[in-house]
Amino acid sequence: MDPRYEIQRRGGGGGFSGGSVGGSPALTGAQSRRRKMPPRPADYKLQVIIIGSRGVGKTSLMERFTDDTFCEACKSTVGVDFKLKTVELRGKKIRLQIWDTAGQERFNSITSAYYRGAKGIVLVYDITKQETFEDLPKWMKMIDKYASEDAELLLVGNKLDCETDRVITRQQGERFASRISGMRFCEASAKDNFNVDEIFMKLVNDILNKLPLEMPSRELSNSVLSLQPEPELPPELPPPRARCC
Amino acid sequence: MENNERISSGEGCADLTKLVSEDGKNMKSVLCQRCGSKVLCPGMAIFAEKELFLPSMRKKTGITQVEGTVDGDMLTAHWLVDDMYTFENVGFTKDVGKVKYLICADCEIGPIGWHCLDDKKSFYVALERVNHA
Repeated sequence: MDPRYEIQRRGGGGGFSGGSVGGSPALTGAQSRRRKMPPRPADYKLQVIIIGSRGVGKTSLMERFTDDTFCEACKSTVGVDFKLKTVELRGKKIRLQIWDTAGQERFNSITSAYYRGAKGIVLVYDITKQETFEDLPKWMKMIDKYASEDAELLLVGNKLDCETDRVITRQQGERFASRISGMRFCEASAKDNFNVDEIFMKLVNDILNKLPLEMPSRELSNSVLSLQPEPELPPELPPPRARCC
Repeated sequence: MENNERISSGEGCADLTKLVSEDGKNMKSVLCQRCGSKVLCPGMAIFAEKELFLPSMRKKTGITQVEGTVDGDMLTAHWLVDDMYTFENVGFTKDVGKVKYLICADCEIGPIGWHCLDDKKSFYVALERVNHA
């Protein structure tokens, strides 16, 4: 993310009904002839980060959540910086902001800023790659160091479609998650889109559970969803072996 | 850039009355032409005329950093919003100079719109590059 582009900071907490565009209160009442009233703005804006070692399928999880297809027209030449997606849950409209950081394998001070703002953290490993599971404590250290204590944690064992190459049992994943207070666990396949929507909705649901019931959305305006850049692997770790798929 | 073949907003002029309400807002939902993903709900954007160059949406001819080599259109009819959280679903490209192009959040077709980093309260979506329903 470009630090100059501080999109999540919005002066005065004006919410997005402010200004001359979009849901101006002065106009809505007078528009009775209009068939559809302008929809209400989002109730929440949430930041969720997806972290995990290289090759575990973080970007695939994000793409699967946003859609099943993509077009090369922009992506191949410039690349997607981030996306805004709207989901509805429990009658609430939630704007998620998703950063696509594929190819940005750097680890710097921006990273800690991502952690700090995150309301939810998805920690991903690959069930077919031992080293990605062994990296989890390293990721937990980052979470402990930088993330808010209130952040919802979800551990995801990805690549369930590669069951025959599985080296990490479901029980191992469950056991790891159970040692960390409040951490949920599930297995998923971004390839088959198995459990992917559920992962995000579960996380959003958990986040909503923690929020004060009637908090005005403008107080949550700092919440955005982003995709975590991958840190560079420390030199002592071997490069991930591509064994599957 | 200015010498590029200009495509006026005239193509949709006859339809503008069906798209723009009396108070200048979008009467219909703004949707992706390819996958139908909802970009804007009705009444959330205002109609704005501004000459903006958008690279072609066709594959392999997309955006490059080098000006003058880009195939695209000069477009003038746009939906304007002042807060990116007004969008239902939208994607932003990485910076191309001081510009971020808007794309479909789902199928990533684009550019469908334009945003300049110098004006953080202006996000344009070209009428010609979206559907209305």
